Amino acid sequence: MKAYNVINTRLPRVDARAKATGDARYAADLAMSNMLYGALLQSPLAHAKILNIDTTAAKKLPGVRDVVTAKEAGLVKYGVSPARYDEQVFCSEKVRYVGDEIAAVVAVDLETAMEAVSLIKVDYEELPVLLDIESAMREGAIAIHDDFPGNVGAEVHQEFGNFEEALKECDIVRTDRFVNKRQDGGFLEPQACLAHYDLNGNLTLWSSTQSVHYVQRSVSMVLGIPIGKVRVIKPYVGGGFGPKAAVNTIEIAACLMSKRTGRPVKMVFSREQVFLHSRARHQFFHELTTGVKKDGTIVALKNTCHLDGGAYSSFGIATIYYAGSLLGAPYKLPNMKYDGYRIYTNKPTCGAQRGHGGVAARAAWEQQLDIIAAELKMDPVEFRLKNIMKTGDVTCNDFNMSSLGMKECLEAVRDGSGWSRKKKKLPKGKGIGVACGFFVSGAGYPIYRSETFHSTATIRLTEDGGAVNLYTAAAEIGQGSDTILGQIAAEALGVSLDDVTVHSGDTDFGVDLGAYSSRQTLMSGHAAKAAAEDTKRQVLEALSEVLNVSPVDLDIAKGVVVFKKEKPDFSRLRTAYAKEHRGWKDIPSEGELTFREAARIAFLTRGVIIGNGAYKPGELGGKYKGAAVGTSPAYGCSAQVVEVTVDMETGKVTVDAMTDAHDCGFAINRTNVEGQMQGSLSMGLGEALFEEVKFDGKGRVLNASLGEYRIATALDMPNVRTIIVESDEPNGPFGAKEVGEGAIMPTIPAILNAIYDAVGVRINELPITSERLYAAMKEKQKK
Amino acid sequence: MLLLPKFDYEEPKSMREALATLSELKGNAKVIAGGTDLLVNMKKGTVKPTRLVSLKKIGGLRDIAREDAGLSIGSHVTISEIADSALVGSLFPVLARSASCLGSPLIRNRATIGGNIVTARPAADLPPALMVLGAEVQLKGKGKGRTVSLDSFFTGPGSSVMKAGEVLTRITVPPVPSFTGGDYIKLGHRAALEIAIVAVASRLTLDGPDGVIVDARIVLSSVAPTAVHALSAEKALTGQRPSEELFARAASIAATECSPITDLRGGADYRCDMVGILTKRTLLKAFHDASGMKEGGA
Ligand SMILES: Cc1cc2nc3c(=O)[nH]c(=O)nc-3n(C[C@H](O)[C@H](O)[C@H](O)COP(=O)(O)OP(=O)(O)OC[C@H]3O[C@@H](n4cnc5c(N)ncnc54)[C@H](O)[C@@H]3O)c2cc1C
Repeated sequence: MKAYNVINTRLPRVDARAKATGDARYAADLAMSNMLYGALLQSPLAHAKILNIDTTAAKKLPGVRDVVTAKEAGLVKYGVSPARYDEQVFCSEKVRYVGDEIAAVVAVDLETAMEAVSLIKVDYEELPVLLDIESAMREGAIAIHDDFPGNVGAEVHQEFGNFEEALKECDIVRTDRFVNKRQDGGFLEPQACLAHYDLNGNLTLWSSTQSVHYVQRSVSMVLGIPIGKVRVIKPYVGGGFGPKAAVNTIEIAACLMSKRTGRPVKMVFSREQVFLHSRARHQFFHELTTGVKKDGTIVALKNTCHLDGGAYSSFGIATIYYAGSLLGAPYKLPNMKYDGYRIYTNKPTCGAQRGHGGVAARAAWEQQLDIIAAELKMDPVEFRLKNIMKTGDVTCNDFNMSSLGMKECLEAVRDGSGWSRKKKKLPKGKGIGVACGFFVSGAGYPIYRSETFHSTATIRLTEDGGAVNLYTAAAEIGQGSDTILGQIAAEALGVSLDDVTVHSGDTDFGVDLGAYSSRQTLMSGHAAKAAAEDTKRQVLEALSEVLNVSPVDLDIAKGVVVFKKEKPDFSRLRTAYAKEHRGWKDIPSEGELTFREAARIAFLTRGVIIGNGAYKPGELGGKYKGAAVGTSPAYGCSAQVVEVTVDMETGKVTVDAMTDAHDCGFAINRTNVEGQMQGSLSMGLGEALFEEVKFDGKGRVLNASLGEYRIATALDMPNVRTIIVESDEPNGPFGAKEVGEGAIMPTIPAILNAIYDAVGVRINELPITSERLYAAMKEKQKK
Repeated sequence: MLLLPKFDYEEPKSMREALATLSELKGNAKVIAGGTDLLVNMKKGTVKPTRLVSLKKIGGLRDIAREDAGLSIGSHVTISEIADSALVGSLFPVLARSASCLGSPLIRNRATIGGNIVTARPAADLPPALMVLGAEVQLKGKGKGRTVSLDSFFTGPGSSVMKAGEVLTRITVPPVPSFTGGDYIKLGHRAALEIAIVAVASRLTLDGPDGVIVDARIVLSSVAPTAVHALSAEKALTGQRPSEELFARAASIAATECSPITDLRGGADYRCDMVGILTKRTLLKAFHDASGMKEGGA
C-alpha cells in the first residue's frame, strides 16, 4: 500500500481539546441577548379529534410573547420522503400519538412558557387507540391517516430470482420468526435549537442535527422563507444515530416564533420529549424461510416483515426497503423474495437508527443460519465461508461489491478469538457465537429525488499562506468526521492536519446531505479531496510560472514543495517573502521551499486561492422499484465473535469478550475506525440485552428516562478486540468506505448464537433479559 | 422539561438550628443530604418543600467510628465512603458490598446512607444489609431523641416511623458474633446504574467452625412494600446443622415469603424464583465465611 503522511494514522481528533476541557458548546449552551424560550404543548391522548383549541388564557399570562397553533403555522405537509409527506408542524384536526404537537409558546423564560402551555385548553373527542400491528390491521379498524385505510402506510414486494422454484432444489428448508423491540436513539444530547430571524429577513437556526441541508430545505418549505435566506448551523452535537437526520418540530416552531416576535427563540427537548419524538429503530416482525442444499450452499430466502411504524412516516419508507434489501449479502444468494408492510399505529414515529432497517433482519437471519449450520453438522464459520461473497461479486438485488474483505474479516475473528479451541468445547453456561454483516457507504440518492451533488467542499488558503480552511456542510456529530475530512484534505494538499482548520455543519459552507447512511467519509471525503487537489493545482501552477518549472514536475508533501526533477534556485522568491515579513521570527530558512511560501506567492500572483470539490455517485445498479434504497458506491462488512457466560440459575447473560473485524476499505484514522466499531458493539449489546421502549394501554411511554430505558454502561462492555481489514475500495477516497453503522450488524446475532452455544436455547424475541432467558431455559427443561 | 421549582435553602451550623426550622415549618421544610433522591422528586413535583435544610455544615454527621467492636456511622456519610472504608470492609463486608452496587460512581459520591434509609424505597440497597446486621438508627426530634431498630423502621414504600421534623443522625451496627458470615446479592439488568429486580441479604452465625446455626437472618428486597425478613426461612435454619440441602430448603421457603408485583423491571413469578436462587447463594457464601471465621471476629 502507498505510504501516506496524514491518513492511516492515529492522529488525535481535531475536537479533542474542546471536548475534553468542556469548551465545546452544544445547542443548549447557546444564548443571545433578548432571547425568548419556547415550550410545546403535546397531546396527552394517543388518538383523538381536536374539537377546539383555546389559547386565550395562555396569551394573557404576563411574560408570554407568542402562542402558535396550526392556525399560525399553516397546514403545509412535510416529512422525509416526498411521497409520504404526512406531518404538519401542529395538528389541526386530530392527534395521532401521545406527544403529537398541538401548539407552542414563547415567553421571557422557560418557566413562564411552560406555565402558559398548561393554560392552553384543548377539547378532544377520543378515538379508538391502535397500539399494535394486529389492531391497526384488523378489519374495520379506524384509519389513522385518511389516505391509508387499513393503516398500511407502505408496502414493498420484491423478488429476485425465483424463490419457489429454487426451494425445489433445497434439502433443508427452515422458517423462523424473530422480533426486536422499539428502540430509543439514546444519544446523550437531547435535541435543542436556537432560531434568529433578523431585521433583514434572514433566518439563522442553530440546531442539534445530523443534516443541516435537510433541515434548511424543510424549514424553507414549511415556513415559505426563500432557501437563500435560511441558514442552518450545527454546533457540536452529542450523538444522533439517525433520529436527528430530519427536521423536528422545535426547529420549525422556533423559527416561526422568532419570525413573528423578531427575537431569538430557544427550544430544548427534555429527555421525555426525546422518547416522544423518537424517530428511532422500529419494531420489526420478521418471518424468514431459508433453503439450503446438503452441501451447505444457501439457495433461497423469503423474508416477510411487518414494521410497527408509529404515527407518521419519517424515514420509514427507506426503512421498509432496507429491511429487505440488507439481507442476501454477504452470502452468494441467487433467489430472494421480500414482502414488507409498514403499519401506522398510535405511537411515536419510528425512523432511522444505526444500521437502518437491517439490524433486526440481520439478527434473525444470522441466528437462522446458525441453526441451519447445526442441522448440516457444519461449523458455523465454515458454513459462512462456503457461501461468502468476494470483491467483484454482485448480489441478486444488484449491489456491486466493488471491494469486500468479508472472508478476511471472518477468518480474522475466527483466528483472533481462538474459535476452533472454543466452539462446542466450553463448559456449560459458557458459549461462543459468530455472525457477519454488511452495510452501505452512503445512499445512491438524496432522500428527495434530485440531481444535486451529495457533497461539496471548498478550501480557502489564508493570504499569508499559513493556514488552510476547509469548508463543508458535513455534520460532525461525535463520530469524528471533522477529523477525517481534515486528514483527507491535509493528505491531498500535502500539509499536516495542524495546518487545516475544518469549518463544518453550516449551510453557508456548501451542500452536504449530512451524517446518515454512513456516507460522509466516502462522499464528503471525495469532495474534500477534490477541493484539496484543486487548491494544490492552483498553488503549483502559480509556482511553476514564477520558477519556470513545469507543474507536472512539482508536488507538495509534508508541508514543503517537492521538486521531482532538479531543484531550481528559489532564493529570489524566499528573499521576496522575507522582505514582506521584516521583523518576523519565523521566516523559512531550511533547504526546502515551504508550502507557506508557495501559497503566499500564489496569493500575490492570483488573489485568494480557493479550491472546490463536489461529489455525487455515478450510475449505480438496479432498475427495479426500490433500487434506490440499498444501492451504494461501496459496501463495508464485518464479522464478530462473541463469548458469553449465562448464569444458568438466573438467566443473566454476561458478555465476556468480543472480537470484531471490519472492512472499512482503508482506515483514514485507525483510532476513529476502532471507536466506531466499539460504539456499534456497545449499542448492539444494549439492544440485544436491555433496550425496549415500553407503553401502557393508552399509548404513554412508561420508561422515558435513561434510568428505566437501559443503554449499556461501560461495565457491561467487555474489552473488545478490534481488527481493521482494508480492502482498498475503488470508489472511495483513498480507498475508504463505511464503518459507522455496519459494525453493529453482527453484534446481536453473535450474542444470540453464543447464548445457544452456552445453554442450548434459541431466543426469538429481544431483549434477552435474564427473565426471558430464564423462562426459555425452564421451557426447554420441561421438554 | 423537568425544572426544579423555587425553594429556600439553608445550611444551619448546628443540629438545634436545623431542628428548629424543621419544626417551625412543619411539612414544608425538608432535610436535604445528597439530594439524589429528593431533587429528582422535586423536579417531578411529587414533593414540594418550600425550604430545604442541608445537614452538610453540621458537625458529627460525617464520621465512621468504632463503637464497642461495632460501628457508628453518621447519617451524612456518603455511599462511596462506606464502599471504600477499610473499617467497614473488614468488619461488615456485607454492608460494603451493598454500598458498592448502588447506582454509579457519580451517584455514590453524593448519596448518603441517611438518605438511602429515609427514602424508604422498597429496592434501596443499604437497608437489607443493615437489617441483617441488626442496625439501629438514631432519630432526633425537637425534644427527645429515640433509637429505632431498622427492622421496625419501614412502614411502606416511601414511608417510615419517622415523624415530620425528625432527623436521622446516626446508624449503629452492633458487633459481629464469632463464626458469622453474610452476603448481599443484587440482581439487576445492567452491571451498574440498576435498581434491583430482586436483592437478598443473609447472615449466619454458627456456634463453632463446624457447629450448628445459632442465628439466621435473611432479608428480601424489592419483592414487598418494604425490605422484609424471611421469617420462616430464618426459623427453618436456626438450630440446624448447615448443609446445601438445608439451604435449598430455606431458599424455597423464602421464595414463598415475598409478595412481589410485576412491573417494568420484572415479573412477579420470576422475582419469586429469584428470591430462592439468591437466598441459597447468600446462605452458601455466609456459611463459607462463617466457618472460616476465627473466634473473636475477623
Ligand atoms: C441515577 C440514580 C441511581 C440510583 N441508584 C440507586 C441504587 O442503585 N440503589 C439505591 O438504593 N438507590 C439508588 N438511587 C437513589 C438514591 O441515590 C439513594 O437512595 C440515596 O442513598 C439517597 O441519599 P441522598 O443523600 O441523596 O438523599 P436525599 O435525596 O438528600 O434525601 C432523600 C430523602 O431523605 C430525607 N433525608 C435525607 N437525609 C436525612 C436525614 N439525615 N434525616 C432525615 N431525613 C433525611 C430527605 O428529606 C429526602 O426525603 C439512585 C438515584 C439516582 C438519581
